[in-house]
Amino acid sequence: MTSALTDGTSRAPSTYTYTSRPRALPCQRSRYRDSLTQPDEEPMRYGNIMYDRRVIRGNTYALQTGPLLFDFDLEVKPVLEVLVGKIIEQSLLEVMEEEELANLRASQREYEELRNSERAEVQRLEEQERRHREEKERRKKQQWEIVHKHNETSQKIAARAFAQRYLADLLPSVFGSLRDSGYFYDPIERDIEIGFLPWLMNEVEKTMEYSMVGRTVLDMLIREVVEKRLYMYEHKEETHRSPEPEDEPGGPGAVTESLEASEFPEQSMSQTQGLLLDGDYVQRTTYDRRSSQERKFMEETELLEQDEESAMRKSLEEEELS
Amino acid sequence: MAHSQNSTEFPVNINTTRLPLPNGHRALPKLKRLSQRTSDEQKDSSCRDPDPSYLSLSGHGLTYVTIHPPFPRYAFLEHDIVLALSFLLNDLSPVCRGNLYKAYMQLVQVPRGAQEIISKGLISPLVWKLQVEREEEFQELILDTLVLCLREDATEALGSNVVLVLKQKLLSVNENIRSKAAHALLNVSISREGKKQVCKFDVIPILVHLLKDPVEHVKSNAAGALMFATVITEGKYAALEAQAISPLLELLHSPMTVARLNATKALTMLAEAPEGRKVLQVHVPTFRAMEVESHEKPQVAEALQRAARIAVSVIEFKP
Repeated sequence: MTSALTDGTSRAPSTYTYTSRPRALPCQRSRYRDSLTQPDEEPMRYGNIMYDRRVIRGNTYALQTGPLLFDFDLEVKPVLEVLVGKIIEQSLLEVMEEEELANLRASQREYEELRNSERAEVQRLEEQERRHREEKERRKKQQWEIVHKHNETSQKIAARAFAQRYLADLLPSVFGSLRDSGYFYDPIERDIEIGFLPWLMNEVEKTMEYSMVGRTVLDMLIREVVEKRLYMYEHKEETHRSPEPEDEPGGPGAVTESLEASEFPEQSMSQTQGLLLDGDYVQRTTYDRRSSQERKFMEETELLEQDEESAMRKSLEEEELS
Repeated sequence: MAHSQNSTEFPVNINTTRLPLPNGHRALPKLKRLSQRTSDEQKDSSCRDPDPSYLSLSGHGLTYVTIHPPFPRYAFLEHDIVLALSFLLNDLSPVCRGNLYKAYMQLVQVPRGAQEIISKGLISPLVWKLQVEREEEFQELILDTLVLCLREDATEALGSNVVLVLKQKLLSVNENIRSKAAHALLNVSISREGKKQVCKFDVIPILVHLLKDPVEHVKSNAAGALMFATVITEGKYAALEAQAISPLLELLHSPMTVARLNATKALTMLAEAPEGRKVLQVHVPTFRAMEVESHEKPQVAEALQRAARIAVSVIEFKP
């Protein structure tokens, strides 16, 4: 067999591999077997083991002519046994493998299903947890907002109350201060104050001035008369005395006495003044019931006296000079 | 005599139309070279190799390699084949594409494989292909791939409007496609963003409609998708508006365990809303009965009982 194989490789155009089918060997294989089969060259022509005379087989044409190589039937049995056995073993293995794989797959699937259901459970619980947590968060937030609003509202109320109290006094105080500053006035009163009273004062002043002027004029008249009388008296004393006029009862009398005594100009003036003052005082005491105007008249006469003193002085000086 | 060692070679009667491939991890570099060669050929439009069988061979070989022992998957990833193969997605030959989908589907059975597909950005093309592909078998394969990828990371898929595409597929005639689309939606709605998108695109009424589907596994997947989508408040109210409670209650008596489990959980979610609670208060005895029922596998029984107990406690909750 091996020789046949080697012979096959030595000359075959295609390579021999384990997939090659058994094929009939070509005839001419003489080269390497000269030493061995020299005498048996003739039967080797066929090259097919089935026709080889030296092999004893079941269905053989050959008779036992030469030396036997081997008994085909005997030798083939173990070979066949091994071959068939191996084939069957291999196929059994494969079938068992497939069965095992199928079993594995099935148990894998089952496990997968259980695992899926557990996973679903886990996810459900997770989801529940998440929902609860979210709910809690939401509620907490809500509560916080409520508290916050509460605080804010109470602050607002406090602020409003405080502002109200603060400003409650505002109105009266404003009014009070305004009133104090005199912004509220009775218009009639104000009108009287602004319009009427100044006018009144003016008129009073004017009237008093008139009376003053009248008094002054009167004073001047009196002075002139008195001067004239004095002059005339002085002239008359040189000759004889003239009767005095009876214009004024007390006043002229006091005046002439004073004038008589007033030959000395300076002293006479002061004396006149003093006498006049005394006279006035006497007049006042005696004539209380005189109107204020006349009193004022007298005072103003006094004042005018002082003004006239300069004029008198001048006139007297002139007289003396002359 | 022959040696009695376990042969790692392919069995003798192999299909000649297949590529001669070395075994196991040695196949991968060769495959990679092959696929790169084909992709280069495709890129070079002048010489378009019209031999589809060549490409299908590479895909076929792939599938063969990947279906068998699991270690080639990691070798897959090491040799960066995923990206190279992605060029085959737009291939004209359906056989090649089919094999590619099968290969990807096998790849994503491990989480690392799914991550690899996601990281190479293949989800958008796959979603696109899902829309475009006519063959239902291919659609199923793509859906299978997507289901497992979405379990890992849904963000990229959500960006490429996977919810809309899946919504279309929910109404398909083929029950497998419906069921797988519902399963994909289930995985999508695990993430929060997915839930929001599911509610936004009005998928919930369709899911409720699917609850009345004649096929059991469609119902159970739809219930599962609802279970996740109703965790958020929007989903709850959308489901309540779509009258989800009565079909879910019927599903509680389904023969499939997973259907019962999903229905219980979905009803628990709905019972959190006051309207749902009101309706479900009448049905508390059903849940109590579920609490005591048993199952052959203790884990599953325990899971069912626990789910029923939780449902009862949620229904009877007083704020």
